[in-house]
Amino acid sequence: MALSRGRALVTVPLVSAVLALATACGADGGGGGSSADGKPEGKITFQTWNLRAKYKDYFEGLVKDFGKKYPDVTVVWLDQPADNYADKLGADAAGGTLPDVVNVSPDLSYPLARAGMLVDLDEEKAAARFKDEYTPEAWRGNVLPGLGGSYAFPWYLNTGPLFYNKKLFREAGLDPEKPPRTYDELFGAAETMARASGGKVATLAGTPSIEDFGRYGVRLMNDKATEFTYNEPRGVELLGRYKQLYEHGGLDPQALTNTPEKVGQKFLEQRVAMNPGSAFDLANFKKNAPGLYLSLGITDAPNNTGKPNMYVMGLGVNAHSRHKAAAIAFAHFVTERRNQEDFAHRVAVFPSTKGSLDTPYWTRDDGTAEGRVRVASAKMLKGAVNYTPVVMTDEMKTVLKNEVAKALQGRKSPRRALDDAVARSNHLLGQG
Amino acid sequence: MRSRGRVVRGVVRYALMLVVLAVTVGPFLWQLSTSLKGPAEDVYTSPPRFLPAHPTGANYAEVADVIPVWDYALNSLKVAVASVLTNLVGASTAGYALARLRFRGRRAAGLAFVAALLVPLESVIIAQLTLVRDLGLGDTLVAVVLPGAVGALNVLLMRNAFAGVPYELEEAAVIDGANVWQRFTRIALPSVRGTLAVVAIFAFTGAWDDFLWPLVVLSDSDRFTLTVGLNFLHGTFQQNPRLVAAGTVIAVAPLLVMFAVLQRYFFRGVGEGAVKG
Repeated sequence: MALSRGRALVTVPLVSAVLALATACGADGGGGGSSADGKPEGKITFQTWNLRAKYKDYFEGLVKDFGKKYPDVTVVWLDQPADNYADKLGADAAGGTLPDVVNVSPDLSYPLARAGMLVDLDEEKAAARFKDEYTPEAWRGNVLPGLGGSYAFPWYLNTGPLFYNKKLFREAGLDPEKPPRTYDELFGAAETMARASGGKVATLAGTPSIEDFGRYGVRLMNDKATEFTYNEPRGVELLGRYKQLYEHGGLDPQALTNTPEKVGQKFLEQRVAMNPGSAFDLANFKKNAPGLYLSLGITDAPNNTGKPNMYVMGLGVNAHSRHKAAAIAFAHFVTERRNQEDFAHRVAVFPSTKGSLDTPYWTRDDGTAEGRVRVASAKMLKGAVNYTPVVMTDEMKTVLKNEVAKALQGRKSPRRALDDAVARSNHLLGQG
Repeated sequence: MRSRGRVVRGVVRYALMLVVLAVTVGPFLWQLSTSLKGPAEDVYTSPPRFLPAHPTGANYAEVADVIPVWDYALNSLKVAVASVLTNLVGASTAGYALARLRFRGRRAAGLAFVAALLVPLESVIIAQLTLVRDLGLGDTLVAVVLPGAVGALNVLLMRNAFAGVPYELEEAAVIDGANVWQRFTRIALPSVRGTLAVVAIFAFTGAWDDFLWPLVVLSDSDRFTLTVGLNFLHGTFQQNPRLVAAGTVIAVAPLLVMFAVLQRYFFRGVGEGAVKG
């Protein structure tokens, strides 16, 4: 399960259309906006993505603290609900009302940056001088291929282990204390589980997504991010294994149509034995499936690359901001070490500032399940990468999902399915 | 023999009705039951459990705690009521003109309304947004009402309703010396009360349920309508399905009340076009 907001991001093709429009009429001649070198002053807007309900106090505190440091700046905090966030950003970009500081993930910042709506932080000296405060992985995670630099201050990170259900493992005759650690063991355990339960209990509930291909060691794109390459032999091999899994009942029979939400729900219903998740899922299990929580096991998600997957969130700065200096100062303020650590303590996500993950909170296991997941995940973040290519739109993800479904059903060979998916995605890429 | 066939037919009919009832009402009852479940209960069980073991109203209180749900409901109410009024006035006058008045381009005007039905909101939303902003109405509730103020479908509904009223009635009024305005308010409007109720319900539910447009046009969360505001209940990091369910019930309740109040007219309105003069 990705960040739960990943699923909220139902990018309607609208967005790209809108941004085409924005480039046509909105971006009035290159840079625009004010100078970033001046004294921070003026009224700026700061937009987060669905964080108001739970973390209102935190953000109001942030705005207040910033006001003390820079009395000449007034920050107006806005928060947008979970759904259709990409649409909202696109509409604001086209209408010329994009907030000065916006909460974006790389796939959201890509269309904005391409339309010239965000500041290139590597190029803007006032911003680039902060680069060393963040971990190199996090900064790299916000670099957009083909556009030169990084377009967002790294904010919080997330990654997660693989959760499994010890009770179901025991019932299938598998050792609940020895969860699978490699892909071979994972697929092996799934076969055993399917046989022992007579096909009633599946081990996984989702079809392989682009991150799964990435973790398996498939090269997803060429270096310039101009062409998809996941149809290489390794990708075909992974899909072949999933196909076998599907045929033997190791993959949930409804996997082809399951949404990430549904996948998580099946795990909660204890009908599926394993599910990838995050540190904050623990609270969810405890709250919504107390029965499952008692038999919950935790293990590292396998990968063949030595590099775990991570999700990155950032704060972009509007290139047309009338108070760019203030916007940059505020974006940096929110993402500086003390404030990031404070936020991560509250939410069970991970800070992207250098040195943060070496503090005891993220290195010492306090014996609780939360502590274990936290420490294990923090360790994974070193060297982690964001596998999902930023140029991969939701439409392209759907193309992959559909072709994978055809392969699993046996209507196409895995090779053919991936070839078709790549061809179609490359075509879409060329259009955009 | 014949009576047995009737019994069988009756059983089949009722069975089908029950199936349809389960399909349409089931999900709502499921939400209602989830919203009443206590924090210690498994929400996801297989098979699902309908009756909460420890019923509680705490989730509703928590919804009000997490978001200013009454402010959002008030915003929605303002928008919905305004939309009902503008639609009733706009659609009935336009519908009457299309049905009864003779003027150049009447057919073209009718066709324009039909064509308007075919345009999906998503394709014009940006143009609408820039227009509304240029009018200086960005981020206001007026902007939320404006695009749906006179629905094309409602105009066509009213046109058909007026066209269905026997023309002789109005001719009699003409002979008595009534002008167009008098015929409209005294004769035509009272005979289409049912359709007016239908238009009112459509306008209310349409405005109440709309999500994308208010989301796009509003930025300040104090002005959010209920559907947009309730979206905050989908936590970024944690989902509490009980809260989401409670929010859904809060959002649907006014619609149920609205329908209960107007249902007498509603069914008359649905049948109105079929009445012969």
